[in-house]
Amino acid sequence: MTSLPQEETGPWRTLSRGAKAALLVLAVGITCRLLGAQFDWLVGWPDALTVPMTDWVGATVGWFLSVFKPLARAFSQLLSYPMEWVGAALRSAPWPLVVGAVTAIGWLIGGLRLAALGFFGLGFVVISGYWVEGMNTLALVTVSVPLAAFLGMAIGILAFEVPRLKGAVNGLLDVMQTVPAFAYLTPLIVLFGFGPVVGLIASAIYAAPPMARNVLLGLERVDEEIREAAVMSGGTRRQQLFLIEIPAASQQIMVGFNQCLMAALSMVIIAAVIGGFEDIGWEVLLTMRKAQFGPAFLAGSVIVVFAVVIDRMSAALAEQRVAQSKRVALAIFAVGAAVALWSVLANWNPSGVAMLDGLAQTVDTGVGTFTASNGATLDAVKNTSMFYGLLPLRIGLADAVLPFTWGFKWTAVHTMVFFAVAAVIGGGLALRGQVTAGVVVVIAALFLEIGVAQAPWPLVVIGAAALGWVASGWSLVRLVVVLLGLILLSGLWERALLSLYLSGASVAACAVVGGVLGFLSATSARVWAVVRPICDMLQTIPMFVFLIPVLMFFQIGEFSAFLAICMYAVVPMIRYTRQGLISTPEDMIEAATASGAGKWQTMFEVRAPYAAPTILLGLNQTILYAFAMLVIAALIGTTGLGQSIYLALGQADVGLGVTAGAAMAILALVADRLVQGFAEERRKALGL
Amino acid sequence: MTEQNSTAPAIAVEDLWQVFGENAASALRDARGAGDDLAVVETLKGKHLIPAVRAANFEVKSGELFVIMGLSGSGKSTLIRCISRLIEPTAGSVHIDGEDILKASEKRLIDLRRNKLGMVFQHFGLFPHMTVADNVGFPLKMQGAGKAERRKRAFEVLDLVGLTGREDAYPRNLSGGQRQRVGIARSLAVNPDIWFLDEPFSALDPLIRRQLQDEFLNIQATLKKSIVFITHDIQEALKLADRIAIMRDGEVVQIGTPEDIVLRPVDDYVREFTRDVPKGRHACVESVMLDQVPETMPDDPKLRVGMTLSTALEKCMDLYEPVPVWDAAGNMVGAVHPAELAAALHVDDGTGTDCE
Repeated sequence: MTSLPQEETGPWRTLSRGAKAALLVLAVGITCRLLGAQFDWLVGWPDALTVPMTDWVGATVGWFLSVFKPLARAFSQLLSYPMEWVGAALRSAPWPLVVGAVTAIGWLIGGLRLAALGFFGLGFVVISGYWVEGMNTLALVTVSVPLAAFLGMAIGILAFEVPRLKGAVNGLLDVMQTVPAFAYLTPLIVLFGFGPVVGLIASAIYAAPPMARNVLLGLERVDEEIREAAVMSGGTRRQQLFLIEIPAASQQIMVGFNQCLMAALSMVIIAAVIGGFEDIGWEVLLTMRKAQFGPAFLAGSVIVVFAVVIDRMSAALAEQRVAQSKRVALAIFAVGAAVALWSVLANWNPSGVAMLDGLAQTVDTGVGTFTASNGATLDAVKNTSMFYGLLPLRIGLADAVLPFTWGFKWTAVHTMVFFAVAAVIGGGLALRGQVTAGVVVVIAALFLEIGVAQAPWPLVVIGAAALGWVASGWSLVRLVVVLLGLILLSGLWERALLSLYLSGASVAACAVVGGVLGFLSATSARVWAVVRPICDMLQTIPMFVFLIPVLMFFQIGEFSAFLAICMYAVVPMIRYTRQGLISTPEDMIEAATASGAGKWQTMFEVRAPYAAPTILLGLNQTILYAFAMLVIAALIGTTGLGQSIYLALGQADVGLGVTAGAAMAILALVADRLVQGFAEERRKALGL
Repeated sequence: MTEQNSTAPAIAVEDLWQVFGENAASALRDARGAGDDLAVVETLKGKHLIPAVRAANFEVKSGELFVIMGLSGSGKSTLIRCISRLIEPTAGSVHIDGEDILKASEKRLIDLRRNKLGMVFQHFGLFPHMTVADNVGFPLKMQGAGKAERRKRAFEVLDLVGLTGREDAYPRNLSGGQRQRVGIARSLAVNPDIWFLDEPFSALDPLIRRQLQDEFLNIQATLKKSIVFITHDIQEALKLADRIAIMRDGEVVQIGTPEDIVLRPVDDYVREFTRDVPKGRHACVESVMLDQVPETMPDDPKLRVGMTLSTALEKCMDLYEPVPVWDAAGNMVGAVHPAELAAALHVDDGTGTDCE
């Protein structure tokens, strides 16, 4: 499959795989650029060749859904009962009882530290005045997580017990995790009708894959001897599985449970966009739409507090811990119950409390004053980034350079000079033996001049295919071409390019910023001491909340979306870069030191090359994060597929929702496979 | 010590093959039609299959301690897993007390494991989520024994391996030596007739290893199990075994008593193993007896049949009187007794001084 094309004579033969691929892409790009004006079909995919895929999908899925609708509605009815009960219980339970219970659980799990976290976290919710909304959200999570955990457990065990299914299950999980969160909602709305149950089911579906993955991983990692000891003890297969293997894998499974909880919480909050339920996500959305930043900030903080409490407590479950005294827990709970009794007798109710309204007010006015006094600066930041960064990337220098922004009009002369400079740099690199780098410079210049959103489709498809060929060979080329071909046929290509541009820009920014931060964190413990808690925090916050701060300062628009995506997606890049750089084996470092390498020489000659596969994996994660956030960011102003998915949600347009969601998943999947291919190739080259 | 009370073999392994790779069974069948074992191996390797165990043949007598010795990758762990049917052998047969266990149903196999077979693993294979007592009681739980009974029996076997008082600790709280004691106790919990030990002491420090070897021999002296014991350590094999099978590249190259292995290695490979072994400890006087008894023998240190060479040497030294020791200048600085020299060389390995 991976055999090279027919060997030829001349300089072609001496070129590396990468250089050949780059030259081919360059040839395609130049052809498209030169002939694009005469032949429209070289730039935009001809409409005549698209098929009404959204209609087809809409009809098929619609038919499918209508068949299952009665069943689904019944199921939804069935689920609404426990949800109502839990909701009613949590809402009507006196708040000191809930606070006491959570504090007691915190104590049981992690002693004083987590008890304090539980107490102050829930205490904050009490005084924020969002108690009822918070409890509604908690009720959704409480019902959806057992569903998701059970589903994930079943899938994981099934994949483990029936090895033939493993490939299929892994593929399914990949798709489930790359399909953007919003895209789940549209078909579910059709199936289950509007209402909180949709959010519940969506979050159960969304949260199951991490559980399933970790169950499978944990079971696979159970020590072979433990497995054999269970067999030799005469256990039946079921006894082996439930008495030995699952308990032995419990740590990994708890890691999965933690991720499952966080995913469920995140999705429950996202699902608030379909409304119908007085939960905390809805509160954020509502206040954001009304541009009430103070309350939005406060409600967002409540979400963050929930996320932190749930995350830290469930993460502690996955660690080995010392048993805490049950009596203390009981005592804490008793105190809570006693206060609860008092509060009931005294008729004291937290929903009327809003001790932090003052704070919200302050934040609101503070932000107002700040934006008013620094408006010029903020605008300058935003406009500079837009006009000199994002816009040229999107529509190309030729269109983005205008007199009222850049001060001059881009003409054919500029184009000639621009390409001449690029050709000189590229040629120089090529002459110094760096043929691939040289050609890539010219290709990059080409993209910059045309703009990603206006890039000719042959250039994008062949470019991606060439990357696939260099990364891992013909099988990946086939996959890339088929998947991208599907988007072309669907007629969603232009929107896909817009999505590609915004996520590409964010990923590039994340790669630079995250790479630098990761590098600094690897070299200095002090930097890491600062960066680490920020990373922890950013990873805990549900996606939705990232929209609040960017909206406060930069209003609705592409730049805000870009910032939100970057904040969310930068973390893996930082973590993996640092991890890669510090995990060089000690003997390699010693060998380098013994050879007389200094600190920086060791860093660039030994650590960096060794870290390359890990850093690539970080980049991969960043890309997937960016795609996931792209759709959420549609709420505050993006174009492209994310917007389509969001629109489809509003109109319950299953065809558009599913097709656009699939197109998004395809982009993410293609990017994932390409980067994974390169990472794999690097790992092999390093003999790892 | 086993010859007298042996009846039917406890384990009989016949022509056992384990080949790893795709379609190994049919490939092996085809290859075996073609020629002898060596040709078969070549054919299999040509197809990128791995013959991990080749045509193994041996019997373990009832109450015998049978050691399988070989370097890592020689197939000994695979072999013991074939015998206990943790993996399915590609061809051949394994009879345990006359029953072909390769033909045993899943149910019968579970039954055998619950009542008749015990196994100890190199890295202990302890269940991390269970206490020591629960680990030991687990095979009994599988039998359906009640909680009190399990605990009682667990305490008994834990006492046997010297772990009284640690019943409610978790494996992570124990040292390596203690963990393997738990592993041994667990394998003995159901009082099995057949005992498999897969390099049980290899992961331990030398001192602890010797201690456990001695205790193991004591336990075996009272319990008299039929044992298959895997090791890569020739000293351990010689110390423990009634008989030893030496494996190389999946093939059993020699089976014999420790004395056979030390004094009569079949080839250079086995000889290489035993090169550093003090032969005096494993060979008896019979092995070096003269062909003809001399006319006159003035001294008689009372050597007996079955005495090891080291012991015999010590006895002979007793005949000599103390001798002087000189310094470089030719002055006498003291005296030593030849018997002391011999005694200093003698290693007390606790196995007694008789060959048999």
